[in-house]
Amino acid sequence: MPNEEDKSGEQKAAEAEIESFRKDLGPFVVATETTRMAMVFTDAKEPGNPIIFANDSFLSLTGHDREEVLGQSFNFLMARGADPEAFAEIEAAFEGSSDRDPEICYRRKDGSVFWVSIYVNPVRDEGGDVVQHFASFVDLTKHKQEKDRLRFLLDELNHRTQNTLATVQAIAVQTLHGVADKEVVDAFEGRILALSKAHGLLGRENWEGVSLRDVIEQILEPFGLQDRRVARFAVDGDDVCLPPKAALTFAMVFHELATNAAKHGALSNDAAGQIDIAWKVEPTPQGERMRLRWQESGGPPVTQPGRKGFGSRLIDSGLAQELDGIVSLDYEPAGVVCQIVMPVPQRGGWMEP
Amino acid sequence: MTSPLSGRRVLVVEDETMVAWLLKDMLADLGCAVVGPATHVNQALAMLDAETIDAAVLDINLNGQKSYPVADALAARGVPFVFSTGYNKDSLPNSYQSFPVLQKPFDRLKLGDTLAKLLTPKEPGV
Repeated sequence: MPNEEDKSGEQKAAEAEIESFRKDLGPFVVATETTRMAMVFTDAKEPGNPIIFANDSFLSLTGHDREEVLGQSFNFLMARGADPEAFAEIEAAFEGSSDRDPEICYRRKDGSVFWVSIYVNPVRDEGGDVVQHFASFVDLTKHKQEKDRLRFLLDELNHRTQNTLATVQAIAVQTLHGVADKEVVDAFEGRILALSKAHGLLGRENWEGVSLRDVIEQILEPFGLQDRRVARFAVDGDDVCLPPKAALTFAMVFHELATNAAKHGALSNDAAGQIDIAWKVEPTPQGERMRLRWQESGGPPVTQPGRKGFGSRLIDSGLAQELDGIVSLDYEPAGVVCQIVMPVPQRGGWMEP
Repeated sequence: MTSPLSGRRVLVVEDETMVAWLLKDMLADLGCAVVGPATHVNQALAMLDAETIDAAVLDINLNGQKSYPVADALAARGVPFVFSTGYNKDSLPNSYQSFPVLQKPFDRLKLGDTLAKLLTPKEPGV
């Protein structure tokens, strides 16, 4: 503690004020002084919000001594090392014009970094004028570090998944080399790539869910979805957030449908063929259901394939099982039609358009 | 018309043996002559000094070591290259964001298109 004579008039006045608080609100002042949450009071009547009270937790959080803090402008002290944006957020919090609590990265006196969330509340006198501000700090450093670590691990996991898929691709191509037709190798590679794209999307969204439109765009991009010269796709529907399992399934299914269309269906002739993908979400007594339709037209006349390949097996049995839905795949002469009716996942539900 | 890729010497920098084989085969299918694979940074830099190289496919993570020194050396020599990675493109540092990236596993068509773009001489004024 500084000597009595070193103290500024301001500090003495502040201490006198605290002393009067103590008389009226004894246990509360003691609680404020000793709580593990860092707290300060600032003077609202002076420019720069000088600090008139700082508890022990504030001092250990910031690494400052009490005499370095008292009388010091809050903004000046706390803006040290903070970026201009953070500084503006603090100012807004003091003016009461901010609707969120600033989360700010600061430097301690020794230069080390800590993250805090700051809650600023005005203290009013009997007349309703703001005389002080009360600011409390929640230390977010550990939370931020854990979040960073989780992000790092998730990136590693995504990276390893994609590398493993690349190794699977390499093994398959080496194994099949000279033994299988090029067509078989291409089909295999196409499926691995579709799976990898779905994993890439999921990784980007922290495995929390993926937009149906993103899945469609990623998977159909090599089939000319974005090709502006010939519009062969029409995609229509409000976006839906798919849970991870559904996203992987849809990626594989769209890949199979498009591959089949490129070989035999609407994408196999020069430009006349078209694929319409449309979906709607409808309320039912059992909750919301999505009805999605893939419809080909303008391709060569369709005939029912003799043998059930991987694609139609995946769609016929795999899809219904994975999505808990009803699936139909019809080889109508005018074009393949695939219809999927499935419950819309509750969590996440809709995504912003 | 001959492919812009035929006979071009492409350096493969990749630390995983099987993935390197795959890349070599894919590049050979595209008509390229493969140099490497180099499995670490110093080996890649030595190959750059010793060999004539027209382009490179550069894995970002080589046994935990980043391949950016190789990228810098290639850029300094004016040799075009494409990164290959299992990470998202976003994870590249800003200074390398302008270089093309191939995602693993590899899409042969994209590999061919990307290299063809890199090896096609730019028309003046375009």
